[in-house]
Amino acid sequence: MSLSRRQFIRNVSVAGGALTLGFNLSGCSEQPLVSVSEGSFQPSAFLSIDETGEVLVQIHKAEMGQGVVTGIVTLIAEELEVDPARVRYEMAPVHPAYNDPDYGLQITGGSNSITGSYDILRQVGATARETLLQAASIDSGQDQAQLSAENGAITSTDGSYHATYGALVRTARTLSVPERVSLKTRDQFKLIGRYEKRVDSQSKSDGTARFGIDAQPDNCAVAIVLHCPHFGGKLLDFDAEEARGHPGVIDIFAIDEGVAVVAEGYWPARKAGEKVKARFDAPEGVLQSSEDIRQAMDQAFDQAKFRSVRKDAPRSSPVPGKQLEASYHLPFLAHATMEPQNATAWVQDTSCDVWVGSQSPDISKAATARLLGMPSESVHIHNQLLGGGFGRRIAPDTVLEAVAISAKLKRPVKVIWSREDDTRHDFYRPAMAGRLQATVAPNGDVSQWQHRVVGPSLYQQIVPQFSVAIIPAWVPDAIPRFAGDWIARTGPAAVEGAKEIPYEFDGVDVQFSNFQTPIPVGYWRSVGHSHTAFVVESFIDELAHQSELDPVAFRLRHLAPDGRHHRVLSAVAELAGWGKASEGHYQGVALHESFDSVVAEIAEVSLLDGKPKLERFFCAVDCGQVVNPDIVRDQMEGGIVFALTAALHGEITVQDGAVQQGNFHDYPLLRHNEMPEVEVLILDSDAHPTGVGEPGTPPAAPALANAIFAATGQRHRELPLRLG
Amino acid sequence: MIEFELNGSPQHLDIEADTPLLWALRDNLAMTGTKFGCGMGLCGACTVHLDGIAVRSCTLPIAAVAGKTVTTIESLGGEHPLQKAWVEHNVPQCGYCQSGQIMSAVALLEANPSPTDDEVRNAMAGNICRCGTYNKIRRAVRSVITPDTVSTAQIFDPANPEGEE
Repeated sequence: MSLSRRQFIRNVSVAGGALTLGFNLSGCSEQPLVSVSEGSFQPSAFLSIDETGEVLVQIHKAEMGQGVVTGIVTLIAEELEVDPARVRYEMAPVHPAYNDPDYGLQITGGSNSITGSYDILRQVGATARETLLQAASIDSGQDQAQLSAENGAITSTDGSYHATYGALVRTARTLSVPERVSLKTRDQFKLIGRYEKRVDSQSKSDGTARFGIDAQPDNCAVAIVLHCPHFGGKLLDFDAEEARGHPGVIDIFAIDEGVAVVAEGYWPARKAGEKVKARFDAPEGVLQSSEDIRQAMDQAFDQAKFRSVRKDAPRSSPVPGKQLEASYHLPFLAHATMEPQNATAWVQDTSCDVWVGSQSPDISKAATARLLGMPSESVHIHNQLLGGGFGRRIAPDTVLEAVAISAKLKRPVKVIWSREDDTRHDFYRPAMAGRLQATVAPNGDVSQWQHRVVGPSLYQQIVPQFSVAIIPAWVPDAIPRFAGDWIARTGPAAVEGAKEIPYEFDGVDVQFSNFQTPIPVGYWRSVGHSHTAFVVESFIDELAHQSELDPVAFRLRHLAPDGRHHRVLSAVAELAGWGKASEGHYQGVALHESFDSVVAEIAEVSLLDGKPKLERFFCAVDCGQVVNPDIVRDQMEGGIVFALTAALHGEITVQDGAVQQGNFHDYPLLRHNEMPEVEVLILDSDAHPTGVGEPGTPPAAPALANAIFAATGQRHRELPLRLG
Repeated sequence: MIEFELNGSPQHLDIEADTPLLWALRDNLAMTGTKFGCGMGLCGACTVHLDGIAVRSCTLPIAAVAGKTVTTIESLGGEHPLQKAWVEHNVPQCGYCQSGQIMSAVALLEANPSPTDDEVRNAMAGNICRCGTYNKIRRAVRSVITPDTVSTAQIFDPANPEGEE
């Protein structure tokens, strides 16, 4: 996306007698910035410097562990010439200046925070630095060409002049910030690609980091909500007589989502909740169990209407070969963030404050305003750190519960979900089914590749949810619903990674059938890629073995020799010593592009009493220009762990329209004693940065399944792997 | 009224006896460094020390704490060698589980000053990290083992299996 399309810099307001400027990424902001502070030099919505020289950066993205705080600070600090460790930061309020240029919303997802902010944030730092240089020129009477910025100060080349940024703030405030200045070239970087610290490690190691659940406004009550266990069910009635007598209980009443039990703390609320006798209806009808859903999805392959999402005309007449066909199944998955869902709200007569760790604070803001019938300017979202996000914290569900409860009680209320609530009321990675067929010639040529995908399109549910933030309240709900249905037909998130395979097969044909179920679905780290990579890369492995070709050589044969995929796959093969595994060790490989990054992974397993044991993982990634190599390695490793949890343990099952799992004993996550060694190689690149938070996840499950095939000869076509 | 020692100071709380220590810390004492993860002692996010032993505060009734000594992440002051190692290795991602990880690691090193990789893996298996920071946790724990203790631990003398002086 070009910078000019983002309508770069413009004046927003004059406040406190000081000239302040706002960066505008979306081109639609006339709202004053709330963070303007008198006496500071604030060259953009992202940055201010006060007279002590303290640099304050506004973090406009959600920090959920992916390291975005460090990334944002690093990009600004690179051009501003300051030490990232000395930059103060705070979570930005909701403001159009912070809208994501790709989505038009202040949202964190799709692994695009750095890729979308890379040029903008460097401009933020560079234009501020230039303004400070100009101020120093005025201050010193020296030509700007004789001055240079370094480590938060400006000095003259002859050493006669030195001024800290803080000392220049007074003058800088009176100057106009240049619209744009040229940015450093790669060889001039001091931080980008080199800085390997995290600026938030200390607070996350000493207990002072504040997450959503730690928000504690004065006089804050704690609420739990008794939810209907059945999707689509409603509260019929409840009896809270006994519960009201429980010590510490403040009130018990019905809200849209169930029964709210409010007390002076979580424990009295939970204990009182156990005494509430609530009756919910269980909706009848079809698809109320995972088994029914799976059967119906299988039937859909024969009976349902498919839409073509890609159909390449065959380049040549069919080459004789063996035709292979395989079916794949993947389950519903919960996000299981370590921090259970929660939100704190304080609704007053003419305003509402919300404290929450949210990936989409503007959706929370718009949904709150709509619920309260309050102008959205009166709703203030104080975004907090997220104890894991992975796509779960886009939905404003807990925010709306807290707002409804606080509105009734007229005092601050924190809603805290139990782990069981969190597991049973998620927006799940949808269960998906895939069928693949292809013809493989004896020489390895592949033709007539047909991939059919059946499963719920996310957009049918999500578009109406997102629309509260972008569509005015007077627009009838039917319109966003219609938009969701319309987009859902081709299921863009359901076929991503299936549609754009990197292999140059002849006659690629990809089809989708939208299959809705009563189970709420949502974004889950790497979204559609989390299932399409498993299906595609497992099947390619089958084709390779069918043609008796080495799985790496087979893939390379079908990749453009000068392309990124070829380079990344070759790199991981070298890293892992492909083909040279030690006695009793077996390797499996997978390659996948997602969020514009290419990742290849090799899993290495051994056999312990005939059962596969995970030994090591190797990963090579091309994500363009790296900002922080250590964080990229962490995200690859963490993405692999996320996928391994799903591959080895992850399965949400439904019975009578209710989730059967509840806590970590029946929805287990990968633990330390199961953790393989992971080696990550980042390929050097000067291309624009691409996604990092999610692309490590998709190749891990197929790499593992392919390694298990190599070890045992057993082909696993569904997740989680049943290793017996 | 339940009296106990918390991070070196006397505390008394007048709350229901079955209140888990976790919620006494968070809701009654506004000490939010200790985290709620599962409520069943399965994830370790709420780990604190009771008389020096790592325990899951989400399932420990406050009545069981009476007369005992409780230590939380706040007591380490940010300067503990393990905390420094955590920062040095950039261990935390989202950071939510790390108070519990560190409290488990402190208890591990007090019981076993020079754990092997496998001993760290097993001792820390009760603390879940959804971000997948396990390998860095292990490296950070192992980095604070002093060379002296490593050599003592690694020399196994069959004649003196208990390692007595």
